[in-house]
Amino acid sequence: LSSPLVEGFINTVSEQYPQYAIGVQESYQKSPERFTAIASKYLTWLGATQNGAVDRALKAYVDFTSSVNFSQARYEHDGHYENKSFTEVYESHYSKREEMDDYLWGVYLTNFLWSHHLDIAPGHGGWGVWALEQKKNATLTGYDISPSSIAIATEIARAAKVDDRSEYTERDALDLFSLDPEIADAVICSFLIEHLEQPDKLLHVINQLLKPGGTAFLTGALTAAQVDHIYEFSKESELFILAEDADLRVIESLSVNPERLLAKAKFTPKSMALILKKPT
Amino acid sequence: MIESLTEIFQDVFEDDEMDVTRELSAQDVPAWDSLMHVNLILAIERKFEIRFSSSEVSSLKNAGDLIDLIETKS
Repeated sequence: LSSPLVEGFINTVSEQYPQYAIGVQESYQKSPERFTAIASKYLTWLGATQNGAVDRALKAYVDFTSSVNFSQARYEHDGHYENKSFTEVYESHYSKREEMDDYLWGVYLTNFLWSHHLDIAPGHGGWGVWALEQKKNATLTGYDISPSSIAIATEIARAAKVDDRSEYTERDALDLFSLDPEIADAVICSFLIEHLEQPDKLLHVINQLLKPGGTAFLTGALTAAQVDHIYEFSKESELFILAEDADLRVIESLSVNPERLLAKAKFTPKSMALILKKPT
Repeated sequence: MIESLTEIFQDVFEDDEMDVTRELSAQDVPAWDSLMHVNLILAIERKFEIRFSSSEVSSLKNAGDLIDLIETKS
């Protein structure tokens, strides 16, 4: 490995959490250069936030992965997601600040530890920061309903030294209808849509915010249970139709799934990414 | 306890020769990844009629930790 930081991190996973080492090795082997590039950035930012942040995030990652695996196993058994409404999820999870902080730090590490995960958005804010590193003149405004997300995204942006070009505000994505229309050149919206009761509204919000010719990057989870997933997408075409019904053109799409599944799995959990364009 | 667990491990990992000791860990069993861990835990839940939370079982170091946890539930 070309990065001692990443090598040390992988060794820590193997020593402390051996059950999770196979998945990490799998992600690394799939694309060593890409894994190392993303992991070294993410771990550097994480380490710059506060003492012990990497150890805390690693434990949070293990707990998050365990929770996802259990949710998927119960989904296999029950045939439906555990929660059906935002209210249920809010009461049992979103309203618990400490649980949400750990959840987000765990998700932050999935960006390179899960080879099938394509997250690039607010929430923890990591991929928005990544975008700012690539586009030196760009500015970013992030909206998230969770106070944990706002705090963590702000912390990561500061650690990555892009806090002068980024701003995070606590707000429900579906309230963004009240913002001025056509204000964004690009929108990133990652793994939010499956948390909503009415996902079609999100696509209409994206259309309204984009300037004509603007681009959106949208990701979503299909047949993938989590304690806070509400809307069960089962086919890739469902996301295509939602986008097209909101007058957004699908320019590119990719759907990926983990190589290892639960024993005798009926459902294959999938992550899907779409690049959308608003017509001029 | 060890005998019951041995049966479950042998069944989940499909290995009739598997010998379970308190020290047995995922480092000794190449197939013991995070997904097999869930299968193992669900099989234990059924056998002992107990229920675990995902965070209780996410960072168990070895079979000894698992036995201790089962005993707190029984």
